[in-house]
This record gives sequence, C-alpha cells and structure tokens, in this order.
Amino acid sequence: MLLPSTRREFLRHSTRGIGLLAFSRFAPRFLVQSTLAAPAPEKDRRILVLVQLAGGNDGLNTVVPFDDPAYHALRPSLALKQNTVLRVSDHLGLHPACAPLHTLMQEGRLGIVQNVGYPNPNRSHFRSTEIWETASDADESLSSGWIGRYLDNACAGTPGPTDPDAIHISAEVPQSFGGAQPHHTFSLSPGAGRANRTETPLLERLAGSDHAAAEGNHSFLRATLMDALVAEKKIQRILETAKPATPYPAGNFSQSLRNVSALIAAGLPTRVYFVSLAGFDTHANQANAHANLLRQLSEGLAAFQADLVARRLDDQVLTMTFSEFGRRPVENQSRGTDHGTAAPLFVMGRSIAGPLHGSTPDLRVEKNADIRFGTDFRSVYATVLDRWLETPADAILGAHHERLGFLG
Amino acid sequence: MSAPLTPEQAWQPLPATAWDSSAARHLLRRAGWAARPEDVARAVADGLTATLNRLFPATPPAFPRPVFMAKAEERLSALRPKKRAATTREERQILDREERELERLASVDFSIRWLQAAAEPARGAYEKWVLFLADVYVVAFEKVRRADYHYIHRDLLRTLGAGPAPELTKAISRSPAMIDYLDLSRNSRRAPNENFARELFELFVLGEGHYTEDDIKQAARAFAGYRIGKNGFRLDPRSSDSGTKTVFGQNGAWSGDEVIDLAYTQPSAATFLPREMARFYLTDTPPPPEFFTPLGATWRASGLELRALCHAFFGSTVFYHPDYRANYIKSPVHYLLGLVQDLRLDLTPLPRATLQPLRQMGQNLLEPPNVRGWVGGRLWINSSTLAARRQLARTLCTPLDEENLNADERLELTAARDSGRSRFTVDDERIRDLASLGANGVADRLCDFFLPLAVPPAYRATVVDYLETGTSEELEERVRRATIALLQSPEYQLC
Repeated sequence: MLLPSTRREFLRHSTRGIGLLAFSRFAPRFLVQSTLAAPAPEKDRRILVLVQLAGGNDGLNTVVPFDDPAYHALRPSLALKQNTVLRVSDHLGLHPACAPLHTLMQEGRLGIVQNVGYPNPNRSHFRSTEIWETASDADESLSSGWIGRYLDNACAGTPGPTDPDAIHISAEVPQSFGGAQPHHTFSLSPGAGRANRTETPLLERLAGSDHAAAEGNHSFLRATLMDALVAEKKIQRILETAKPATPYPAGNFSQSLRNVSALIAAGLPTRVYFVSLAGFDTHANQANAHANLLRQLSEGLAAFQADLVARRLDDQVLTMTFSEFGRRPVENQSRGTDHGTAAPLFVMGRSIAGPLHGSTPDLRVEKNADIRFGTDFRSVYATVLDRWLETPADAILGAHHERLGFLG
Repeated sequence: MSAPLTPEQAWQPLPATAWDSSAARHLLRRAGWAARPEDVARAVADGLTATLNRLFPATPPAFPRPVFMAKAEERLSALRPKKRAATTREERQILDREERELERLASVDFSIRWLQAAAEPARGAYEKWVLFLADVYVVAFEKVRRADYHYIHRDLLRTLGAGPAPELTKAISRSPAMIDYLDLSRNSRRAPNENFARELFELFVLGEGHYTEDDIKQAARAFAGYRIGKNGFRLDPRSSDSGTKTVFGQNGAWSGDEVIDLAYTQPSAATFLPREMARFYLTDTPPPPEFFTPLGATWRASGLELRALCHAFFGSTVFYHPDYRANYIKSPVHYLLGLVQDLRLDLTPLPRATLQPLRQMGQNLLEPPNVRGWVGGRLWINSSTLAARRQLARTLCTPLDEENLNADERLELTAARDSGRSRFTVDDERIRDLASLGANGVADRLCDFFLPLAVPPAYRATVVDYLETGTSEELEERVRRATIALLQSPEYQLC
C-alpha cells in the first residue's frame, strides 16, 4: 500500500493497515493538523536558493583581474589571458566557461560580490564550512546554522506543517539548517527524480504495514517517520510529474536545480533550498577541472533562471553561491592552487542592482600569502535576511553587519 | 505487559535457564552497539557470567594518547612560552589563534579515534560504559578548550571505570577538564565557588533532594584551592581551607576526598548511579529510586565497585524483562556504531562521515548540551534527525564517491587503508554475496540479524515481494535498497 499524502486519501485507506496508527497515541502530524489552514500566499513568497561550491572555489580564476600584472606573475601557468575572459569591467572578466552567467549579468539578473571572507580565516575545509554555515566568528563555535536560526525566527509559534521548511539536495545535511528548535528539513538525493530509484517505496510499505504490537517508542517512531514519508511522497509526486518550462543540461547539478524549480512551481511553502556542487578542491592540474565545474555551474544556474522566468516565478527566488574559501593567489608546483581565503560569490535574481559589489582584492601579497577579504560574508547574509527574507537579520546573526546594495 | 517484578525479584540474577540467544542479543545491543550473529553464538555458548566478564573486564582496554594530539602538544608547549613573551597584542592574537586551531584539530582527531576504538566489537561495551560515565561526569569542549584535558578526563573514566566509584569521583575532582568546566579553579577560601560541590552531590553521587544548601556551601570549602598545575592537579595552599566543615551533619576539617567519602556513605549514593544506568541503558522512564534498593545493597557490599555494579545490573532478571526489550531508542552514537558493526565496516575516519552526521542526529560528541548531559529517548527523534539517520544509512550502504572528496580527506583515507582499515561502505561484492541468498534468504538475514524484534510475517513478506518484483539484473540494486530501508526502519532505531 502506498502512503496517502492527504487526509482524504488517508481516510480512504484507513480500513487497511495504516488505520492502526489512528488509534496509537502518536497520530501523524498531518492527521492532527487542520486541513483548512490557508496556504502561504503566493505573492509574498520569498525563496532563497543556496548553491554550495564545495571544496573551495578559486575566485581569482572565476572573476579574473585580467590586466593586473600581479595576477599573471602569481599564476604563470593558470592565468587566463585577457582575450579569453568575458568582460565585466575594464579590469575584470569572467572565466570563459561562464558565458551563460555573463549573459545573465548583462540582463541585470546576476551580480558578483567580490572578495568575500572573514577575519582570521581558517583553511580547513571542515572548519571553514562550519564558519560559513553557522555564520560564526573564526574563533567561536556555534551549534546552530544561520538558516536554522532564520527558521527559528520565522516559524516560531506556528504549528509545524508537514511540508518541509528547508530542502537540501546534497550528500550531507547542511550545517546551516540546524536550529535551536527542530525544523522539518528534507533531503533529496542529488539527481533524484523518480521514486523507484530509491529505497523509499519499500520503507513506506514497511512503515505502513500492519504492526499491531507497536507501542511506546516503536509507535512514536512509526508516526514520526510516517510524517516524513508523507512529505517525501508529496515531493516525489511533484518531481515525477513536473515538466520544466525550459530545457536543462544533463548532470546531477542541473537536474537538482530542475527539481528545485519544480518544487517551487508546485507551490511548496519551503523557504530555503540548498544545492551542492563538489570538486572545487583543485590542488593539482586545475585548469580543466575548474573549467568543467564552472561550466556546470553556469549552465545549471542559467537554465534554472530561464525556467523561473518562463514560469513567472523569478520574482520569488533569489539564488546565491558560496564556498568555504577561495584559493591561494600563487599557483603551486602541481599547476593547482592551495587553500586560500576570500573569494567572490554570485547572486542571481529578477533584479540585481549592477554587476559588481564590494572591492576587488589587492594582489600585492607577500610570497605565498593570501588576499585579505573586503566584504564579510555575514554582510551578504544580513542583506539577504533583511532585504530579501525580511527578517531581523541582526538578531539571527548576533551582531550588526553592513548591508550591501546588490538587491535592486 | 508482563507481571511487574518486585524490587527483590527484579535484581535477582537472571536464572541460567533464561539465558538464550534472544537474551544474548538483548544484552549485546543494550550494553554494546550491535548483536552480530557470531557474537550472539559465542555469548550463548559462554554463558552470561563469562560474557559479562568479557564485556566488563577487570582490566579496562587501553587507549593511548592519539599521535596527532601528542604532536599538537609538542607544538603547543613551544607556543605557550612564546605567548607569555609576546609584547604586542597582535602577536599574542596570532599565537592565540594557532593555539585554538591546534586544540580544535586535536579534539576532532581524538573524537574520531575514540569512535574507531569504540566500533571494535571486542571493546564496544566498555567504551559505551565510558560514554555513560562521560554522560554523568560531563565536561564540554565549548568551555574546556584543551583537547588533552578531554583525553585525560576520558582516560580517567576508562581506567578507573571498573574500580570503586569513590576513587573515580576523587580522581575526577582532580581532572583538569572538570576543574575548568565546573570552575574549581575559581574556588578559594575567601571566595568559594559552589559549582563543583553542587554537581558532585546532585549529578555525580546523590541526586537532587539528598543534600541541603548548607551541605553544598560547606563542601565547596573542602574543594577550595583545587587548581590545574603544570603537571595536572595541584592544591594551592594559599587558597585552600583547612577549617572545620559540617557536611551531612558531621564535623571535621574535611578534605575534598573526605567529603566525597562522606557523600558515598549517604543512603541515596547506592541507588543514584544505578538509576542513571537504567536511564542510559534500559528505559526513558526509570522506576523510582526505591526500586533500586536491592541493587544498591549488592553494590555497596562490593565496596561500590563499578565493575560489580555492571555485572549485577546486566546480569539481573529485570534487565531481561519483556517490558525492556526492543523499545529503547538508540542514541546517535549507538546508531552510527551499530551500523558500522552490523555492516562489518571500518569507521570512515573523516569528520564529514562521523562527527557531522552525529551532530545532525543531535549528538555533538564532545559537546553535551549542558551539565546534565544528553536527555535522550524520544528527544533524539524529530523530522530532521530522522532525515539525518536515513542519510547516514544510505551513505554507509553506497560506495564512497571519492571523486568528491577533498585532498586532505583522501590522505586520511589512504592512511586508514595503510593501517588495514579499508571497508568504509558496503561494496558491490558484499551486496552480491547477500543477493546470492535469494529473496527469502535476504529477507531473513535483514529482519533477523538487524532488527531487535520479531516482525510479523506480513512485514517479511513485504521485503520478499519487493526483492522479487523487477528484473533479475536489478536484483542487486534492490538488495541494496532493501538493506538501506531496513536500516532506516522504525524497528532498527530501537534496541
């Protein structure tokens, strides 16, 4: 038997095994909850899509200071030539693999926040990711993530819906999702679409099977899992039937964004999506690998934005990228780059105010040293929380951070 | 529900006739992390007493200081004098940062090494016992930012965890991590700090309501001057208080150790820790303290020896009572290490494969939420922690995507492989072996080996039906998914 995804379906099926749950002390939430609650008003919906570039993206070869002699001196084999980059300004150009992003930029839909980082940078993947995701200082340890704290704030006092508050399409649950209160977060496997490709259908049958003896903790676990599966069922159905308005390239990353667009188009009340593209830890033979990654990123983001525009949803969605750190300005002996500090990030939406924000990094660094960040990443978060999600950013971030002007 | 036991019946040793494979599975899952068939067979053959002797040995297994920590300490001992000699604020800040970073890295490494050790079937039960003690004598990295202090603390719990409880508690009162965590280092004759004395009575020895506020005030004086010196504990004679104190109605110039001995003479000392054990090993809602009186008497007769307590507790009739079978929710550490043992894997020595899932499931290893430790039980479970559990099962049953690993993670894996640990996830070969058992064989293996309770025939039939539906080329993939689903099931969350 398949799980019902609505109360009506549940009632129809309730003479079968699943009906036992109704007599248990722990009724699934979707049964208890009022079905008359109005859906979130479409107009006011503001959605954030976070795109993680895992491994540490090389910012200098993403947004290239092509006429800076220091850049060419630091990167004898990896520097991109002036005539190959896609001009953003008289001094900066995008990596040639970023052509779709360049077009978006010309249309006013994409912006670059330059040289984003934080004081006393940490060069461990694990730790720096943690700093970004918890929005902490470098020498402070926070247990909750910035999205989790946003959800604490946004969802306080309202009964939890079965629809997820946040959805991630990545191998691990993002640390940014952790809140002081538990939130309904949902994980979708990368490239997933059809339910029959995962273990979920069997789990549904097992969780819904007749188990009269279930009591106490067993019954509690079954009810909690049932809630999660009801949400998952609903999401799988959306993904199975969804048809993007515009085509997407092949590959897990693009397909993940395709799924995000389908879920947004289906009207889920989910406010935050998290998608990850991994492989940016380019210590050796970086050139080709990095170009491929940037191509996947650019083509995926451009397809996603085109789809949103075609569905007239682009006014509801802001997308931003982040990476745990940039890379060392000087290339290493293996035609790669080592862990560094600040890097540019992209913001994408219906109306982005100008292509460039923040200051260009100063490459006059000491031997094998790193650039110094110009914009604190929490300023980007503060701007997104305050101007996009319209929540009290300072309370969520625990301090005041300057707001940036990238939202038009 | 079976007939309730009287306290006297409850703590009688389990009759030898009741020791069977079902009882052995219950013991192995509750005292340790998993009940692998060969361990169950051995336990049944050996008998309960011999099994308990093996799980809780007189000489606890050693856990040498991790290599990384030793190296970090070398660097740190060079850093500290530099910091004292630093003349500018900037200089000191740079050194501070390096110090913090080394401590953090050493704490991460220590956590992973401990998980690796605890995942070894032969020492699972004892390391779980150490985890229980760490959940009583709580310290947190958030406050105590010295990885070596955490190591020393755990080592005290490990090496003294089989001996007399008062000796362990005395050693813990001198543990640098505890001195820092409960502000003993701020406790002096002129300005007493009661933090430690309060938790000593409330959380380590007696439980709330078995002492007065005045007992705490007086006891705090006995611990004045406890300091962390260069080589560990040091008593600062200028801050200590040699005056007369009245604790539990007894007058004397009590020292800290003598106050601990006095606390253990209180009646509730004999039932407090056993009841905490019941909360950790048996049930979310332990019976009232009086229920533990007969166990407390046995324990006291042994000289409050912790190993004797383990043997009495895990060898009791009530521990195997039907009310306490297959209805306790595994902690995140239990879920992780249970999976590793059930699937016969080597723990993946990466934070993203261990500490991160643990945190997402609600158990940040060196960071208990507060001085009481983790509450556990149903609080472990909500939609996001359940999603994290499901993700972990999926990850461990899917070949590792090494392409997506960072360079330093690949180095860690290579090092682990060089030391003979290489089965990080369930590989295709293992799935093929499992698939060769046929649909019924696979279903039996999954339900009987992994689940703590007997599932109804329809449940098993559902698994068989799933395995049989589809093409034979996809059988192995279905076996993999069925394995994942079983490990994600509500039933597998229980022990």
